[in-house]
Amino acid sequence: MKAPVKYALAFVLAVAAGHLGAIVAAPRLIMHVALTKMSQDGKIVNGFQFGPRTTEKSRGVVRPSPDLAYASCVYDLSRGPVLVSAAPSPDQGYVSISVFDARTDNIAVFDTAQYPQGIRFVLAKEGQAVPVGEQVVRAKFARGVILDRRLAPTAELFAVADQARRSNICKPL
Amino acid sequence: MAKPGTSRWKLALTIVAGLALGAGSAVWATRASGMGGEDFDGWSGSRVTGSPDADPWLRARVAFAGLLALQRSQAIYFTARADSEGQPLREECRYRVSGGPIPGKWWSVTVYAADNYLPINSDDALSFDATEVKPDAAGNWTALAATRPEAGQPWVSTRGAGRFDMTLRIYQPDKSAQDDYGSIPMPKISRLDCGGRA
Repeated sequence: MKAPVKYALAFVLAVAAGHLGAIVAAPRLIMHVALTKMSQDGKIVNGFQFGPRTTEKSRGVVRPSPDLAYASCVYDLSRGPVLVSAAPSPDQGYVSISVFDARTDNIAVFDTAQYPQGIRFVLAKEGQAVPVGEQVVRAKFARGVILDRRLAPTAELFAVADQARRSNICKPL
Repeated sequence: MAKPGTSRWKLALTIVAGLALGAGSAVWATRASGMGGEDFDGWSGSRVTGSPDADPWLRARVAFAGLLALQRSQAIYFTARADSEGQPLREECRYRVSGGPIPGKWWSVTVYAADNYLPINSDDALSFDATEVKPDAAGNWTALAATRPEAGQPWVSTRGAGRFDMTLRIYQPDKSAQDDYGSIPMPKISRLDCGGRA
């Protein structure tokens, strides 16, 4: 093969590999950074943290909604499943619990329209043993984050939502 | 003829340059296209945002511009970057946002600056939502997107937003909306004036 053709072919293949590699790696890398930040450098894992009211100064995650109260639980299933529960807001306002994996996929979501008495499930990796009778969500990856979103468009509604979410549970079984 | 060692270095440099260009093109493509997806009357939205069905390109775009977005059974997201005449949304202009009944339990419209965060201002008016608008008998409503409020209408502040976009979130969307995004009556963004000039 002539040298110019060889270089051109190598360049085109490298561009394609660089593009595809970056596309596949970016979500995991961005999620890794977000999980590190949300868990305070890994200090708070398998436990809910309750965010303050979203303002113009909120810079933790892109495009936050100023109408919602957020709580997060960075999970690590490498030592076993995690039990998750969330109480409804007393005004029956919107509450959802969503589970995201290390690849950013939203692998499960529950809301209090489906479960007006509250949401409860066990999050486990594929193959991990779980208690009989519990609702189970299976994850491909050991790490990820669980988000509690509650409707709280005003300071007053935020206070109500904040009080309700304090009874949330995210803990190893 | 080049020495074999020199040829190997040239090839290695060619490959490194190609990898860098490829990675750069991926970052540029994902950042430039936001959350991507299809266009619905000037609002772009994807049916697979947040879903395991998302392809690697959409997943990367969401990671950059909408990390931790919900899947469509729970919420649908649309983003508009231009007004009804196709002009980019910008802080210097005032806009009327008008629409009809939105098919979901609750919805909101939020302004985001070009860095994908909320604009830096202390107006406490970063969005307007379904509870703030005052629909008429037919369900039609209007709101104002501008740097200052006006009496009698819901307002989202664009102060400090620069070139901005608006995100419509529809929570617990009706089944018909989930199945057919084209059936959703999207709000219209009409430019009223820019810099005080109509």
